[in-house]
Amino acid sequence: MPELTNEPTTATNTVGIAFIVDYLLTKRPDLDSIDPDLDLIESRVLDSLGFVNFLYALEEHTGREISLDQVSPEDFRTVNRIAARFLHDVAND
Amino acid sequence: MPPDLAADATGATDERFKTVLDRLITMSQRDYYDPYTLFDWPESLPEDAWWMSPELLTLHNTEYGKTLTEKQLRAVSRWESLNFYSLNVHGIRELLTEMIARIHTDEFALPSEYFHHVIGEENEHMWFFAKFCLNYGRIYPNRAMAFAGPGIPEADHFLVFSRLLIFEEIVDVFNQKMGVDDRLHPTIQQVNQVHHQDESRHIAFGRQAVALLHARLRDTLGQGELAELERYLKQYMRSSVDSMVSPAVYRDAGLPEPYQVRRAVLADPAHEDYTRTVLRRSVSFMVNEKIFSDDRIPPACPN
Repeated sequence: MPELTNEPTTATNTVGIAFIVDYLLTKRPDLDSIDPDLDLIESRVLDSLGFVNFLYALEEHTGREISLDQVSPEDFRTVNRIAARFLHDVAND
Repeated sequence: MPPDLAADATGATDERFKTVLDRLITMSQRDYYDPYTLFDWPESLPEDAWWMSPELLTLHNTEYGKTLTEKQLRAVSRWESLNFYSLNVHGIRELLTEMIARIHTDEFALPSEYFHHVIGEENEHMWFFAKFCLNYGRIYPNRAMAFAGPGIPEADHFLVFSRLLIFEEIVDVFNQKMGVDDRLHPTIQQVNQVHHQDESRHIAFGRQAVALLHARLRDTLGQGELAELERYLKQYMRSSVDSMVSPAVYRDAGLPEPYQVRRAVLADPAHEDYTRTVLRRSVSFMVNEKIFSDDRIPPACPN
């Protein structure tokens, strides 16, 4: 399993970050932007009840099913963490 | 010491709650059965049959569903039924975890005797749902992730028992119909019948507990917080219904573009009919108990 990093640098991640931010902004139209290091759980941009839709969007974007047995809420804490955890895998396939 | 669940503000025990618990314990003892020997588990079930009542399929009456052949819909019914039993396995895991965290604590002293029966019965339900999935398909993975709730710590018990009650009420809508649906294999009918019989007791308990816990909250929380609890539970109902609309199910049933199918289903007006059917009983209870101020559930979110 790849290690988490806070500084995604690949082109895949840059595109991925834009995808994640755009998706989350549609859920929170009250926000103008989302900092990639914003705590999404603390700020309730992501919550339990909206999580499944986000998971499916992420799966469709990456083309891979995400097993929740192998991830934790911490993997969804910030946009950067999401990108590093899930798009990092894609970049290294 | 925190007050007992069954005590009112003066500390007096709620006699009605105590009577209900005694009656439920008597019924649990009377209806006890051995699930490990009760069921016939055939080697296989016919794959081209209905595994779920067609009216309960997420695709029922949707524009997309109307483009499929009956053979395709039967394939969807097979995998959707396995997803339904898988959701039961995951829901029971949460129920057992939460109930075990509370049994024989001060606040739950009175219902603890009945908790033993519920925990035992739910363990057995989890066993036969999991066995069904493993015998005839697979257990679909859990898609839920627990983050922070509405941030009202005093409402923790209320929210836990409300979520469990909503889960049980939704499942029972399916059990009641499929338990007597002759289009389904006898083993499928039996699993649903047996579960319905036990769940009617658990739902009776859950309704009492949720009503008591909310009555207590009405004395301590402000209108804004009570409204936030209502918003959260309605969203929980929406998420629970939508968890039946699974891309993995559509993929296993051989449908192309399963994520697009999910979006199409959630956006279809027929999904609102499906939602009303599945939630009618639990919404009605919440409104009657003044936990909900109205019966409106937030719309599905296709994206």
